[in-house]
Amino acid sequence: MEQILVNGAYLGAQYALIALGLTLIFALMNVLNFAHGQMYVLGGFVTYTIYGQLGMPYALALLVTAVSLAVVGAVVERFLFRPVIRRSQRDESTMLLAAGLGFFLDAVILLLFGEKQRGVPKLIDGVFNWDFRVIMPHDRILIGCLAVGCIVLFILFMHFSKTGRALRALAQDRDAAQLMGVDVDRYSMTGFALGAMLAGIVGGLLVTITGVNLGMGGPTSTKAFMMVMIGGAGVIPGAIVGGVILGFMESILLSALASYGDVTYLLIFVSLMIFLAIRPNGLMGKPWG
Amino acid sequence: MLKIENVELYYDHVYALKKVSLHLEEGETVALIGANGAGKSSILRSITGLSKIKHGSISFQGQEIHHRRPADIVKSGIIMVPEGRRVFPYMSVRDNLLMGAFSRTDKAEIRQSLEQVLTRFPILKERYGQSAGTLSGGEQQMMVIGRALMAKPKLLLLDEPSLGIAPKLVADIARAIVQINKEEKVSVLLVEQNSRMALRISHRAYALTTGAVAIHGKSSDLLEDERVQAAYLGGEL
Ligand SMILES: Nc1ncnc2c1ncn2[C@@H]1O[C@H](COP(=O)(O)OP(=O)(O)O)[C@@H](O)[C@H]1O
Ligand SMILES: [Mg+2]
Repeated sequence: MEQILVNGAYLGAQYALIALGLTLIFALMNVLNFAHGQMYVLGGFVTYTIYGQLGMPYALALLVTAVSLAVVGAVVERFLFRPVIRRSQRDESTMLLAAGLGFFLDAVILLLFGEKQRGVPKLIDGVFNWDFRVIMPHDRILIGCLAVGCIVLFILFMHFSKTGRALRALAQDRDAAQLMGVDVDRYSMTGFALGAMLAGIVGGLLVTITGVNLGMGGPTSTKAFMMVMIGGAGVIPGAIVGGVILGFMESILLSALASYGDVTYLLIFVSLMIFLAIRPNGLMGKPWG
Repeated sequence: MLKIENVELYYDHVYALKKVSLHLEEGETVALIGANGAGKSSILRSITGLSKIKHGSISFQGQEIHHRRPADIVKSGIIMVPEGRRVFPYMSVRDNLLMGAFSRTDKAEIRQSLEQVLTRFPILKERYGQSAGTLSGGEQQMMVIGRALMAKPKLLLLDEPSLGIAPKLVADIARAIVQINKEEKVSVLLVEQNSRMALRISHRAYALTTGAVAIHGKSSDLLEDERVQAAYLGGEL
């Protein structure tokens, strides 16, 4: 039991971080970033290259990952989403654009890094063992703590920095934020960069545990959507709650249903559908649109 | 100080303003009255750059501003309190007020402005940490006026500050507008459907009908004007 909870917390922290990036972009620009999972994979490959291939320090690799994904996010906002949002009248246009971007990033990743599963050397050896009730490799503990640390930093940033305040204001009332002098273009770009950076950081964290491969992008996007739907789209606590819930569901169901084969996600999907039928805005979501 | 000349504005080919001209001198409170849909908000949106005008020009302190972006217009000293208050509902009163000072960088003076706003509207002190969405309509209106003052504006644009506010509070808000104009030397362009209140607290006024200025003059004269009484003051007390 304790083991399942610890696994759930570990997984939940990673998931929450992914969901935060997605929900931030949605709240700011009303864009569902279907390419979020691909940004996560890209982050994993950047860390793989710098830490795994070039043998540089992990901290540096994670930093470079964060910066490169922020740049990718900024460029994508500036040259793809901004012009499309400006000229189109329908939300569907940005959804198609995001889906297309997902396929494009898949292709770029295939070209640059190939289709093989990639791993990196273990960060630290050793296993934490509490009486065989909780067994957790040290590197998992480290990565779990780093994820929690990033979540805390993100929340502090959103609440106590001027930029974070402007991003929240923009998400809550676009016109009013403009009237206070917030430059919408600039802060949309900042928000998109930040969202992509969060996805990339999780990629950089998890590559040290589970490795990374091209096929992870799509499923990760799907999971991120589920978390955001569970918690409620566009709200920070919603993303965290959704991430933690999905993390725990996965860890509990995986061990409870181990003997029935691979039905965990089938069950999760079914329960999500029922849940959304009852609460279409998620646990704490605002109505859409 | 503010000069609007022959401004035209369209929404999807339907005109909202046709050849509107008006001006406002430093230190003045100018009222803009007119029925629903007359184009009052459209004038304010044109000044702040939220809506782009098709023809004409808008200049502030001698410089054309109608091609500038909203953020730059705020920097030049114009701030607007939008219709319907538009608070940031999930942010605290404190954060809402600080958003007003977004385009300022003088930290110490921002703190001083915050003190001034809290002194002017003591109720905001009591609600300081509360989410703005939980405030009453009147409290929200005071907060958004305070939020605008946080920008240390030269020109304050108010869009229907009495809309949906309890009658007792309307008087408070009217008094606050007069004080802000006098004590803080902020010029005010006041849009109101409550024409009587607007004419009482303003120096001059423009009455709008379907996107054009119909009558303008000194507010005290307009209060007595028969056409104004028939068209804009009828029924109200
Ligand atoms: N976003 C918009 N899209 C289309 N028409 C609009 C929009 N905003 C205002 N209008 C129209 O422009 C005219 C003037 O509106 P507005 O400036 O809001 O008037 P007021 O503030 O005096 O009530 C009205 O006929 C209104 O229907
Ligand atoms: Mg209006």
